[in-house]
Amino acid sequence: MQTRPLGDTGHDSSVMTFGAIALNWLEQEGANQLVEHVLDYGVNHFDVAPEYGDAELKLGPKLRQHREEIFLGCKTQERTYEGAWRKLDRSLNRLGVDSIDLYQVHGLEYDEELDAITGDDGALAAFREAKEQGLIDHIGLTSHGDPDLILDALDRIDDLETVMFPLNPVVAGKDDDEYDYEAVLARAEEQNVGTLGIKAFAAGSWPSTDELSEADRPFANWYRPVTAPDEIRERFDFAAARGLTSVISAGDPKLVTMILEAAADYDGMDEAAQRSLIERVRHDDSPVPEQLHH
Amino acid sequence: MDVPHTVTTALDDRSVAGKRCLEAGAGVGNATAGLLANGADRVYAVTNDRDHARTTRRRVAEAGVGVDDGGDRNDDTGDRLTVLEADLRAVPLPDGSVDVITAHGLCNVLDPAALSAVAEEFSRVAAPGAQLVVDDYDPPPDDAAIGELFAVENAASELARGRPALTFYPAAFLRRFFVGHGWEFERERTLLEPVPWTESHVSAHVERAASTAAKCPDEPGDALAATARRLKSEIESESVGRMYGLAFRLPD
Repeated sequence: MQTRPLGDTGHDSSVMTFGAIALNWLEQEGANQLVEHVLDYGVNHFDVAPEYGDAELKLGPKLRQHREEIFLGCKTQERTYEGAWRKLDRSLNRLGVDSIDLYQVHGLEYDEELDAITGDDGALAAFREAKEQGLIDHIGLTSHGDPDLILDALDRIDDLETVMFPLNPVVAGKDDDEYDYEAVLARAEEQNVGTLGIKAFAAGSWPSTDELSEADRPFANWYRPVTAPDEIRERFDFAAARGLTSVISAGDPKLVTMILEAAADYDGMDEAAQRSLIERVRHDDSPVPEQLHH
Repeated sequence: MDVPHTVTTALDDRSVAGKRCLEAGAGVGNATAGLLANGADRVYAVTNDRDHARTTRRRVAEAGVGVDDGGDRNDDTGDRLTVLEADLRAVPLPDGSVDVITAHGLCNVLDPAALSAVAEEFSRVAAPGAQLVVDDYDPPPDDAAIGELFAVENAASELARGRPALTFYPAAFLRRFFVGHGWEFERERTLLEPVPWTESHVSAHVERAASTAAKCPDEPGDALAATARRLKSEIESESVGRMYGLAFRLPD
């Protein structure tokens, strides 16, 4: 599988990152098998979080067995110094490892949170201490919030080495600033910050729970995913061709093999084909009737 | 409203800011929005379709169309856009009065006779040094399912009105055609490949074919309408063919 430099970290990440939340939906034996399967394809970057049910615990055994082959990303939703230390300790314990390669501020949404993490008593102070102590190697941030907030974070956090954000043809087709993750991608590239893409496989939201209860959803993803092999391949190619360092696999284990296949075969996607995909989803979505043309 | 990437790509190497523009065949306002977003001083969006005129006005007004400029430019959008309901074979603008002409997805709805007349008008209203942007579709490949639907649409149109609904001119054809009208060719790029004919496009073409078929003599009209409806469920959607963008300039 193709690898790309993850910003200034010195690590070359596989063009697909394994979203280890998928392990949460499997028993331990199945989880072990999935990790072996993912490694067989050449994936060398894993991403996990304490919020993903038992994913940390289920990743543990195979992570420890293959520790040298896996660049491990983990994250915390804590915004304070104390909270971040507590969660880091807990993740290290649950994963059963001595260190985490990339520790990320998880799901930044509001300006006040950026103020909080960058403050004297903020999470980043804990991150930096942990880095000095060799418990983590690199600092990152994840957000599916306002792109402007991520840009602010890139301005304000000097030692930020990776950012994780949504990128897919649905958001790429929207002009509003609230979807302008392309600006984040461009800025990160300028600053040589690694970029990790989420929601590459999102087709749309789930129907309301009145129409379809959570228990009746056929996939474990937060969003309704594309599920056909061709669509998965197009979505992967699109995200990777936009210039992300690595595309994170969808959270449902049923989709992982298709994404691995797409990632292993990845060979670029030209711009006319990228626009074709953007146009297709824009029209699938469009409220304007009677469009004969593009 | 979101400016389609086809439009942004067709315009991104064109100089539009501060220019007087003619958007020929306004459609649902996509290219108009692109021109305004790129800082056009004035856009004359010309269409002979009342619904299109209305849709263009409404969408541009609703969006404010400043797009990425933080809203500063939005206030004067109303002043910068003029939607004209007119026939492109007789554009209600004076000679030499526009600096940029866009024909985004226009030529395929013009039969050869209409295309010739429209090209004459482009040459007339263009100021010396004006730019012309022509975006259209190569003919779909022979084995494309969507081609059958276009054939039905054309058959109905020929029977009802004596001319085709759609003519897909190859890029090389329009390039030589406009050069023949005095334009200097500047560049060609591929806007879409493959072209995504989505369910909404397919159903719009089916509706168009069926409503035209209703104006045909009874027996063939009914057969064409029924065929169009059958093709809707058969095709669903298809990604096939190429949309291209040509750019020309009028010598000073």
